[in-house]
Amino acid sequence: MKSEAERTSLQGVPQPGQNVPILQVRDLKKSFPVKRGLMQRTRQLVRAVDGVDLDIAAGRTLGLVGESGCGKSTVARMILRLLKSDSGTIRFEGRVIDALSEKQFKPLRRSIQMIFQDPYSSLNPRMTVAQSIAEGVRIAGIAGRRQQRERIEELLTMVGMPPAVADRYPHEFSGGQRQRVGIARALSVAPRLILCDEPISALDVSIQAQIINLLKDLQDRLGLSYLFISHDLHVVSYICDNVCVMYRGRIVEAAPADALFDDPRHPYTHKLLASAPSLLAKAEQPPPVEARRDPLPPGACTYAQQCPEMDSACLDGPTAMHQVGPDHWVRCPPAAGKNP
Amino acid sequence: MHFHGEGPVARAVDGIDFQIHRRQTVCIVGESGCGKTVTALAVMGLLPMPPARIAGGRILFDGRSLLDLPADQWRTLRGRRIAMVFQEPMTSLNPVFTIGDQIRETILAHEALKEAQARLRTISLLNDVGIEDPERRASDYPHQLSGGQRQRAMIAMALACGPDLIIADEPTTALDVTVQAQILHLLQRLQADKQMAIQYITHDLSVVSAIADRIYVMYAGVMVEQGNPGQIFQQARHPYTRALLDALPTKEKRGQRLATIPGTVPHPAYKPSGCPFHPRCGFREPACERDFPQMCDYGDGHGARCPVIQRMGGFP
Repeated sequence: MKSEAERTSLQGVPQPGQNVPILQVRDLKKSFPVKRGLMQRTRQLVRAVDGVDLDIAAGRTLGLVGESGCGKSTVARMILRLLKSDSGTIRFEGRVIDALSEKQFKPLRRSIQMIFQDPYSSLNPRMTVAQSIAEGVRIAGIAGRRQQRERIEELLTMVGMPPAVADRYPHEFSGGQRQRVGIARALSVAPRLILCDEPISALDVSIQAQIINLLKDLQDRLGLSYLFISHDLHVVSYICDNVCVMYRGRIVEAAPADALFDDPRHPYTHKLLASAPSLLAKAEQPPPVEARRDPLPPGACTYAQQCPEMDSACLDGPTAMHQVGPDHWVRCPPAAGKNP
Repeated sequence: MHFHGEGPVARAVDGIDFQIHRRQTVCIVGESGCGKTVTALAVMGLLPMPPARIAGGRILFDGRSLLDLPADQWRTLRGRRIAMVFQEPMTSLNPVFTIGDQIRETILAHEALKEAQARLRTISLLNDVGIEDPERRASDYPHQLSGGQRQRAMIAMALACGPDLIIADEPTTALDVTVQAQILHLLQRLQADKQMAIQYITHDLSVVSAIADRIYVMYAGVMVEQGNPGQIFQQARHPYTRALLDALPTKEKRGQRLATIPGTVPHPAYKPSGCPFHPRCGFREPACERDFPQMCDYGDGHGARCPVIQRMGGFP
C-alpha cells in the first residue's frame, strides 16, 4: 500500500538540486469545449492539459515529449500567455505570472520567447530579416538607427549568419537559414527562457545538427534555459538534461535524461522508446495491445485502456506520481510497486 | 532527368542506377533537393514534360521499358501494378469524397467489376490496413480521420489492385513515432502477405535501418553509396554517408558537439564540377574537383562513389 503522504505529496515534482527553477509550473489545467450540432452547443470538455507540473532549472534544458494532441503545445502557449489556463500556477523566476495583469506582465514577456517548427510561416514574408529582428531590438530598448543596425548585425553573427543578409527576404533562404533568423529574432529581446516547439523537425539531417549545435552554444554563452518540445526521442536524448513524458494531458514520467532512456518505468515510455526506430538493428516491433473499450472510472489512469500492465490500482482514482529514483518520478502504481 | 526552364538546365537526377527485386524493400535516402522524389515520379510517369525531360537512360519494369510505352499503356500499369503512397495524405486525398468512394474509384478505373463487388473489395482493403469498423469508416471524409488513419487509407488505395511495386515517398514523416511504428509494421506485413516490392524514399536514417533490405544514398542527383544496412551503417565508404551518420544526435554523443556538414546541398542547376560533394567534403583532393568519381566496388553489393576513401582503405 502507498502511504497517504505519498498519495498527497506535491504531485511528484522533480526537484532539480539546489538550483532555483527559472520556470515552475504547478497543477496547470486547461479544457476545451467540444461544440457539435446546429446550435454549437458544448457537448463535452476535452481536458487538454490536466494537472501538469514542470520545473526548469536555470541554464538547463527540459524535454517535453509525447504524441501530437497530448497537450505539449498547449502547455507552451499557456506559459507564453497566448492562452489562459483554467487553473494552476506558472512561476517565472519565482513570480506567479498567470495572475499578473497584461500591463504587469509586459516587461516579463521579453524574458520568455519561442522558436517555432516552421520558420517559413513564422517570419513575415514581406519584411526583410533586418525589419523582422528590428521590432525585437526596439522592444529591448535600443534606440537610434545606428545602434539598432549594429545590434541586428551582432545577432545575425551570433546565429552564424553573415551580417550582409540583413536586407534580404525570408524566401531567399533555406530552411536552416530561416530557422537561424527565427532564433536571432527570439534572441533580439534578450530572453532568459526559450520555448522550442519542434525546432528542427522540418529540417534535413545535416542542418538539424547545425541548429542543435547552435542552440547548445547559445545556451553556454548566454545562460539560456530551454523547454524543448519534440517527438524525436533521439534529439531529446542528446540535448535535454531532464525529460517529462506527457500522455493525454498528464505528465506520466519525469526523470533526468539518462535515467529516462536507460531505465524507463512507465509502460507508455516503454512503448515510445520501442517505437523509435534504432540505428542498431532491424527492430522487432512489439505487438500492438488491443485497446480495451470498457469505460474508465473518473480519475483512472488515462493509459489504462492500452496498458499491458494494468491492474486494479490503475482504476482506483487519481494516480499520483511516485518517486522511483533520484529525481525520477512515475505516475503508474504497478511500475512504482516494482521498486524496492 | 533534367528540367528545362529559364536559365540553366536543372539536372535533378543525373545518371542513377538502381534495381528492386520482388519482395524487397529498397530505401532511397537523401536530403531535400537530392532528387529522390523526382526519381519516384519518373518511375510513375508523373512528371510534367516539359519542363521535365528524360535526357537518357531506361526504366525497366518486369522487363518492359516504361519510357517507350504509349501513354495509355503506362496509365494501365500505373495504379494497377505500380502504386504510390505520398507523404501528406491530407493533400493527396480528395477532401470532398469519402475514402470509400476514392478507393472504389481506383478499383473501377482498373478493373471491370460491378459496383457491389468494388464496395466489398474496398471494405476488405480497409480491413487489411487495420482500420477498425471498415464499413462505417468507408463513408468518412478524409478530415474525419486521424493522420495515421488517413495514411492507412492511402495505403489501402495503393493496394487496391494488388500492385507488384509500391513507391512510398516519406509516408511516415508527418506522423508520431508510435503511429509511424504501426505504419512501418503494416507495410512489412502487407509486403509479406502480398509479395510486393517496396521502394521507400526517406531522409530518416533510423527508419531506413528498421526496414531496408538494400539502401541507396543519394546526393545531388547521384547515387553516392549503395549496400545493405550493415554495410551502410557500420562500414560506410562515402564521406557523405559517414557525415550523415555522424550528424545524428544520439544519447551516446551527449556532451560532444555534433559533427556537421558545412555548406548546403547544391541547386540542381548549379552543381559543382567533378564530385558533386567535393565542396563540402573533408577528404577532397585536387582530382575531386575535376573528375566525376567512379563507383568503387567493395564486394557483396556494396559500392561507394569515392576513390579517395578506397585508396585510404576506409576512414581513418
